[in-house]
Amino acid sequence: MNLLKRAAFVLGGIFLGINLINYFVLGHTGDYLPGGERMGEWKAATIREACYPALESPERDELLPKLTSNEHRVDWRDLTRAKEMTAALNCYLVTHPNAVCERNNRAYIVDYINRYFAKFDEMMNTARRYGETEMSAVRNLWDSPRNRAIDAALMQDTGNGRLIKADFGWSVPAAMKPMLDRYKGTSDNCPKA
Amino acid sequence: MIRQVVTLILAFVGGFLAVGGWIWAPKISSAMSSLVSTGPSVSMFADANRIGRAETAPVIRSCILKVVDLGPDVKQLEPSAAYHILKAGSMQANVSTMLGKSDRWSESQTIALAANWGELANCIFAQEDRGLCDPDNRAAAVEATTKFFAYAKQTEAAKATIPAGEARVIEGVADRLLISLKNHRRYGTLAAADFGSFASPEIMRIMREEKETRDICKR
Repeated sequence: MNLLKRAAFVLGGIFLGINLINYFVLGHTGDYLPGGERMGEWKAATIREACYPALESPERDELLPKLTSNEHRVDWRDLTRAKEMTAALNCYLVTHPNAVCERNNRAYIVDYINRYFAKFDEMMNTARRYGETEMSAVRNLWDSPRNRAIDAALMQDTGNGRLIKADFGWSVPAAMKPMLDRYKGTSDNCPKA
Repeated sequence: MIRQVVTLILAFVGGFLAVGGWIWAPKISSAMSSLVSTGPSVSMFADANRIGRAETAPVIRSCILKVVDLGPDVKQLEPSAAYHILKAGSMQANVSTMLGKSDRWSESQTIALAANWGELANCIFAQEDRGLCDPDNRAAAVEATTKFFAYAKQTEAAKATIPAGEARVIEGVADRLLISLKNHRRYGTLAAADFGSFASPEIMRIMREEKETRDICKR
């Protein structure tokens, strides 16, 4: 019995360790989204490759986030990431509005939406240390025409049931909760295959 | 039988570690010390309210492009990116030192890095004194100064092979920085706890010996 307990403890430790590494180190957060009929395999999402061209030279896209003043404390790596994430999500939701209807794409897009809002929250938390001016600079950065188009697409996708609260599992971004609650129970209007 | 195999493996591993350690110990030791001397510049135990993020410091915005020459497109570059370029150059030099590469090229690289970090530190200290009350500016001052003295120490070690003029320039920068450090220690804008445990002895001596006479950060 004692031996069994020890073996269970070791196996449990290995299982926990593998999952912690997968989530926090490898960043495969998509593996922990709910499964089921609506959600497929994020790794098999075709939209990812279809949107590679949108990420080739984001600096040429004038509608992506940009800093309006030199008086800020935004690290260039955060700025670059904000641009990349906006360009990608814009492609997934705005350029290809029906991509979210496919199971694998939906899993990938839901995971990406989580990352997008997590990055915004992270930058806002950093900006909070510097006061209201810095917070306003970050808010303005994430309020480019592309970000607004993403917001509108998210509103539309939740409104017509293409994205529902259950797709996000336990990790619903705070910014999306009101939208998802508002349209709870809406059935999706995806084109039927 | 199994016990014999395990003993054999242990004996082999033990022998490998003993002989390998004997042969490689000096190399590993010098590699580690070179990594440490140019590695963490800002104290990991410093008060988070005193030490911020150097790369986003306003003083870096004003000073970095005077130090890092990146050609005509430099205006489009974010100052924090230019700061990372300088840091990446330092990392490359550290790797060369770790690998035991000590040739004319790596020496001139070390001199150039010492000059760059020194120029950056001087530019930071040339700004308004109260500027270092800002945690990000303070982090930038600490990092630039620590890195300068670490590379200056390396050039000191290679004094016999570097041109006398370059050695004098670095000595001059070091003298100016020590005066600035003294002043800022007295003003309360810099303290021993802001620097890492591996900061050069010159810096730590000033931080220990000089006393804070007034706190210019208090309004």
